[in-house]
Amino acid sequence: MALITVRFYSLWRSRLGTDSATLQADNIDDALAQLEEKFGSRLREKLEADGIHLDGKIQDYSLILLNGIALRNLKSTALKEGDVLHIFPPAIGG
Amino acid sequence: MESNTADKDIGRYIAGSAEAYFAPDGKRLPVISLKTAASIANSQGISTKEVEITALKQGIVPRRYLRNIGTIGLDGQIKLLGSTVAVVGAGGLGGTIIELLARQGVGHLIIIDNDRFTERDLNRQIMSTEENLGEYKVTVAAKRVGEINSAITVTTFRERLTKENAQKLLGGAQVVADGLDNLSSRFAVEQACRQLAIPYVYASIAGFGGQLMTIFPEDAGLPSIYGSSNAIPEQGIETKIGNPPATPAIIAALEVQEVVKIITGVSTPIRNQILLVDARECAIDRIELRR
Repeated sequence: MALITVRFYSLWRSRLGTDSATLQADNIDDALAQLEEKFGSRLREKLEADGIHLDGKIQDYSLILLNGIALRNLKSTALKEGDVLHIFPPAIGG
Repeated sequence: MESNTADKDIGRYIAGSAEAYFAPDGKRLPVISLKTAASIANSQGISTKEVEITALKQGIVPRRYLRNIGTIGLDGQIKLLGSTVAVVGAGGLGGTIIELLARQGVGHLIIIDNDRFTERDLNRQIMSTEENLGEYKVTVAAKRVGEINSAITVTTFRERLTKENAQKLLGGAQVVADGLDNLSSRFAVEQACRQLAIPYVYASIAGFGGQLMTIFPEDAGLPSIYGSSNAIPEQGIETKIGNPPATPAIIAALEVQEVVKIITGVSTPIRNQILLVDARECAIDRIELRR
């Protein structure tokens, strides 16, 4: 079990009204499950109030990095004390 | 030898045509006007760009660049005039990038876009007007550059950039600036830039927010955020929250600043970190990226 920090950016931060949170988690899957439980419905409700409907969980519509590495590129799902998850919406337009 | 003599003659000619300008701090600077530069170019059978570069090399500032010099110096302006920048996409980001690079005095712009202006572009694409709806973006952009800075050479490609043609379209550029609206083209640009060994200023937007990163060939680049190119999302949150006018202007301006930094060597580009801008909250964050 490791104490990690989650940092929210951009629209997620402004809609959640907080820039960070701490979690005690065993591994990435556990951290994402806790993240969804604590913030998922709150974020979706706030966005829904703005007329933005999102399906799925936070991890389905966010870009997530662990200590600056995209989750998709991680070789291990283990977490250690002090790890930081960075979470922000994908902005792809131009 | 002949060309050296000709250069000296042109140099003398420019020096003889220079006027005195007193900067706000009282400093006296030799300058040449737009009209004089064009007239020398015409009479000497060379381009206005060559006249401007020759003038700057002698410490004579074309008036149009007077407000550039304090940040990038004479050498910086010479480097910009001698450089080629490719802008991929001439829409929201791209239009403003092109406008600013023309004013900054980048000597050669390569503009790539296969699209025409439509009404939904009017809210944010600075080159679009009610008058030019239906026209190709590259045609409008090239005309606009000519109106802003006739010394600049423009090459346009009315094509969609793909993995197959990216190296050909971007060849000759020292830097590529991102005006794209999808990730697969961005991955194609990144790959081509690695092969061409040139930096790529990546940026993208959605709603009040945008993100930016300069990617040199040895940098981790787009896969450090999105994973590998075969698993990238098709679209982002911009499909839900749109693109208001200020966001592309802000992010494009930051891209232009990156281009200027790269070419002039002034300051350090944002490498191996993603810059996240949230205009709604006036917040700018950076996340260090690792492989």
